[in-house]
Order: sequence, then C-alpha cells, then structure tokens
Amino acid sequence: MPTMFSVKGLDELVRTGGSCRVAVEVPSGFKPGDNVRAVNINPITHTRLPQYVRGKRGVVVEDRGVFVFPDTNSQLKGEKPQHVYSVVFTAAELWGPGVNPRDTLYIDLWEDYIVPEEQAS
Amino acid sequence: MTKDHDDHHDHDHDHDHEHRRPDVALRVKAIESLLVEKNLLDPEAVDKLIDLYEHKIGPRNGARVVARAWTDPDYKARLLKDGTAAIAEFGYSGIQGEDMVVLENTPGVHNMVVCTLCSCYPWPTLGLPPNWYKAAPYRSRAVIDPRGVLEEFGITISSEIEVRVWDSNAELRYLVLPMRPAGTEGMSEDELAELVTRDSMIGVGFPVQP
Repeated sequence: MPTMFSVKGLDELVRTGGSCRVAVEVPSGFKPGDNVRAVNINPITHTRLPQYVRGKRGVVVEDRGVFVFPDTNSQLKGEKPQHVYSVVFTAAELWGPGVNPRDTLYIDLWEDYIVPEEQAS
Repeated sequence: MTKDHDDHHDHDHDHDHEHRRPDVALRVKAIESLLVEKNLLDPEAVDKLIDLYEHKIGPRNGARVVARAWTDPDYKARLLKDGTAAIAEFGYSGIQGEDMVVLENTPGVHNMVVCTLCSCYPWPTLGLPPNWYKAAPYRSRAVIDPRGVLEEFGITISSEIEVRVWDSNAELRYLVLPMRPAGTEGMSEDELAELVTRDSMIGVGFPVQP
C-alpha cells in the first residue's frame, strides 16, 4: 500500500533526496574511450533513451556508477541495476552536415542503451 | 536580475504559458484533491515544499558555489572532482541534487544544460526551473540548434569554441561553472556572487560584467 506523503520527515527528504544510485556490485561492460552505438528501441513504455540518439555512434567518457534501470523499474518489473555512462556524440553524427564540427552532445546512458561499436565515430 | 530574459522568452516561446492554462490548473487541483481525499498527500507538506522552493532554495545558492570556486582554487578542484560533496560543504544537498556534476566553461568550451525528456534541474543549487526550461521549444531546440538558442538568449559563442550540450536525461544533475568576468580581480567572494546569474549556471548566459 502506498503511504501518505506527509510533512513529517519532509525536511530530511529535502536534505537527502532520493537517489536512484544503488550500492550494488554490477560488472561494467564499457570503459572510457570505448566506441559505442545507442540501441534503436522504440518502446511504448517509459524509457530515458531519447529518440535523437537512437542508432547513433558515440564514445564513452565516464562511468557514472550503478543506478536503477528506469525502463523496468517504471513498470514494476525490477530495479535491474546497471552502470550508467556519460557518452559523447558529435553534433555531426546526430544532426548531419551544417552543424559546427566542434560541437558535441553529452548524455548519460544506461548499460542496456548501448552496444559496442567497432568503427571509430 | 533575470527578469529581462524571462520577458524575452515569454515573448519568443508561446508554449511558456502552457502550464498556466486554466484546464491544466484545474486538472492539477483535481488530482491534488483526490490525493488528499485518499490520504496519500498531506496538504501541509505541499505548502511547506512550495515555501521552501519559493523562498529558501534558489539560484543564490549556486551563485555562492561559483563565487567560492572563482576565489578558492582548492575548492574549485574539489568541486570539479566531486560536485555533490563540494556543494554539500555549503549545506546544499538533497532532492534533484543527489548526484551533481559541475561543468567548467573554459576559453575553448562552452557548456549548456537541457533536459530533453522533461525538466530535470539541480534544485539545491538553482531552485525550481524557469518556465522556458520546461517548455518544448527549449528542450527540443537546445540539442539540435544550441548556437541558435544561445543567440536568442543574447549570447554568441565563437565558431572556434566548442558548444557542449549536456542532456540531463538520467540521474546526474549539471551545474555550469561560468568563467570569472575580467576586471573582477579585487572583488570579494560576496561581491562576485552578485555577478553570477541563474542563466550563467545553466549555460544560456554569462555572469554580469561589472
């Protein structure tokens, strides 16, 4: 049963928040410098993988640690904790010609959102 | 401080007023009433949250963090290494700031933050997001045309400088550390904090040039 969102404990909640980071040991499939491709999935349920990076090639910049996986957790199908990576995409890879070749987009992607990509992007 | 920008963007982005539409307000009111009736929500908790984020937690917090980083190299190093811990030194922590990453603007890189999926924003340091940050035009255009969006905010980034857009789609929250304005060498930390605008910490503006 859901409990009431009450004024009691609110200060503590505001101070500490409610991180989806979890202290679980999960192997990481990627490391900084790895070439990756965002998977092309189009679920009708909740996902935090935006459409504009699906199928695009990027490079892992940093391992952010282990977090609850929103795609399954939002459907009460389990937390499926996994690594989240900061991944950089060039603006040209995302949007094609006509962009400044220096410009980049950084986004945090869960392990299930990326696959290895052999070709350098 | 940021009134001019807000006015400017209310003008440019029709959808800014989306959340104030009477039918939306009515729906929110109805949902709130239902939650209270079902004993899932204490109205006192809602009032308290609104009070906290309207009066106590806002971008002056972030400004103090930035001013400290400008004046204390050791603090800056800690801030860039572990944003969450360094920001917590001021007592700023909690909801929507559980995992903070600070992005340093440099002569070669200009950082800019967006949440394309909703409105994720670092509450402990910046308070609640401005309307334009939550509106579809900013969320969609910041990624595909960041330089065009920045122009509309009144700032031009040289084509020699990398524009680095950060989508806070996941659990990390981002705060931009703008570059310290020139000619501020003699200023105190408190004086410097006055120059730090909310927009400069989102990456859609610069600090005030004294």
